[in-house]
Amino acid sequence: MTSYLFGHGRSRWLPYLFLLPGVFFYLLISLGPSLATTVFSFTDATGIAGAPVHFVGLDNYKEFLFMGQGSADNYDALWRTLKFCFFVTTIQFSLGLLLAVLLNQRLKGTALFRTLYFMPAILGVVILGLIWTLFLYPLGGPASRLLGVFGLSSEFLGGPPTEAFAWVIVVQIWANVGITMVIFIAGLQTISAELYEAGRIDGAGSWQIFRNVTWPLLTPSVNTNLLLNIIGSLQAWTLFMVLLGYRNGTQVLGYTIFAQGFGQTSGSVTSAFRQGYAAAASIVLFFLVLVIGLTTQTILRRREARIIG
Amino acid sequence: MSTTAIETSARSKKASIAPRVKWGRIGSYAILLLFAAIYLAPMLMLISTSVKTLPEFMRDATAPPTSINLNNFVDAWNKANFPRYLTNSLIYTGAATFIYILTAVFVAFPIARGYIRGATALLTLFVIALFLPVALIPQFQLMLNLGLYNSPVGYIVLFLVNPIGVVILVNYVKSIPKELDEAAAMDGCGYFRFVTSIVMPLIRPAIATVAVLHAIGIWNELILPTIYLTNKDFYPITRGMIVFQGVYGSNWPTLAAAVLIMTLPMVILFLFLQRYIVSGLTQGAVKG
Repeated sequence: MTSYLFGHGRSRWLPYLFLLPGVFFYLLISLGPSLATTVFSFTDATGIAGAPVHFVGLDNYKEFLFMGQGSADNYDALWRTLKFCFFVTTIQFSLGLLLAVLLNQRLKGTALFRTLYFMPAILGVVILGLIWTLFLYPLGGPASRLLGVFGLSSEFLGGPPTEAFAWVIVVQIWANVGITMVIFIAGLQTISAELYEAGRIDGAGSWQIFRNVTWPLLTPSVNTNLLLNIIGSLQAWTLFMVLLGYRNGTQVLGYTIFAQGFGQTSGSVTSAFRQGYAAAASIVLFFLVLVIGLTTQTILRRREARIIG
Repeated sequence: MSTTAIETSARSKKASIAPRVKWGRIGSYAILLLFAAIYLAPMLMLISTSVKTLPEFMRDATAPPTSINLNNFVDAWNKANFPRYLTNSLIYTGAATFIYILTAVFVAFPIARGYIRGATALLTLFVIALFLPVALIPQFQLMLNLGLYNSPVGYIVLFLVNPIGVVILVNYVKSIPKELDEAAAMDGCGYFRFVTSIVMPLIRPAIATVAVLHAIGIWNELILPTIYLTNKDFYPITRGMIVFQGVYGSNWPTLAAAVLIMTLPMVILFLFLQRYIVSGLTQGAVKG
């Protein structure tokens, strides 16, 4: 036993006492509700205060996965969520790495570039949504002019679902690549300059140095960024709301959960406050994130062991 | 980094590799400038639109403004009910961040010091929520049954949690020497006073980082006010902006002015606090 006194003696309960509010709020607002999602997924709960709630067993899951048009739409949303995750992760990861490597050189103005690329990360979905809706203004907006130069045209967010979906991917990456970039820059700065020097003295070119020095030593940031991007993009959906609304052919799972649980109407799609069903959808998304997250982590661990060992 | 020094000395010895080095530099700048354009263009479009008149915008959305017209800002300020929404956002963000930081420090400190049993387990408990299912549905049922639906107090309570913040604080507290606790306890300093008046000033950089990250999250939140606040008088700026867009959706000059009014404080704050935001994200990411 050490000789410090706050954890011991007459007043050793004080740390526990002052710890309580923080832990209480965490259990009440976050952990408790999160775990209770499982319970709700077996009920027909609605969003109406005082309405009776019944236990319905696996009905919500059956409906979500196996019943008619609804489940077909759900599989579409699931597949779209995976596509969104794939495109966002690969592009954001590569661009983030490219920008970080470029900004980690001794070039003038790097601080300015870094600030500029990173800034959208703090703007929030409302501002992002409006800025991009304006930029993609179909009647003579900048993006439409630019496409016009190449003889192309697009209705952007109002166009066919696949096209609108692609634009959400663009905005998602534009907004978040700065975060990936700063995590890579933090990783690059831990690599000792002497290693680069040694490489150059041995006559290695820039690519060889990147391949054999930078890339392996960057493993911790590579792992962090991959996991963050994958998990983040599987759960992301708010940009869809501000850019497209609940539109058929563009929904991802996260948005389905919100729409089913809290009601969203759009054209032919009307959803009520079906919170039991939405809870079941949350569990499905959770398993998707869990399986993909754990698989990625296992692969990354093996790779790390191979590089270090 | 001393790569430049190496390059310079190499260049003086071997003139042949000089052009390649220069090309690398030009190529780097070309890519950086291309991305700068991609980042600046949407923001410039916003500024340009905000000073145009509506007929001018309809005639040519992209053309630079012929004159500077500041009426849109006055219009947006008056019509969008901005003073009310901004006040609400400030109250929510300020109150929730203040209470959160206070409670989080009292969670992080004893965990970092091992003053409580099961400190590691408790920290794991905090981190685990990041991977669990979305809490939205049961959280809504809970708030509804507690009578905290459509209530500013209830809305603030929703933001008293941020596990990553606790992790960042724990890591920082570990860098403060433990001898300090012994000395203070020996001198008869109480636990509460020790944490608030000695520990908190010492971990100020970490507190600043966590507070800034937490505040940005609250300020930008759109989903929770959509779910929980139905009374327009309680709307934060994000929700108010969406309502304003619904009404003035086709009047882009006024809308753009409103967006700028909302964006400018964020951008200015960002330029001053960038250091804290970046360190918070990189630390949180590495540990999370």
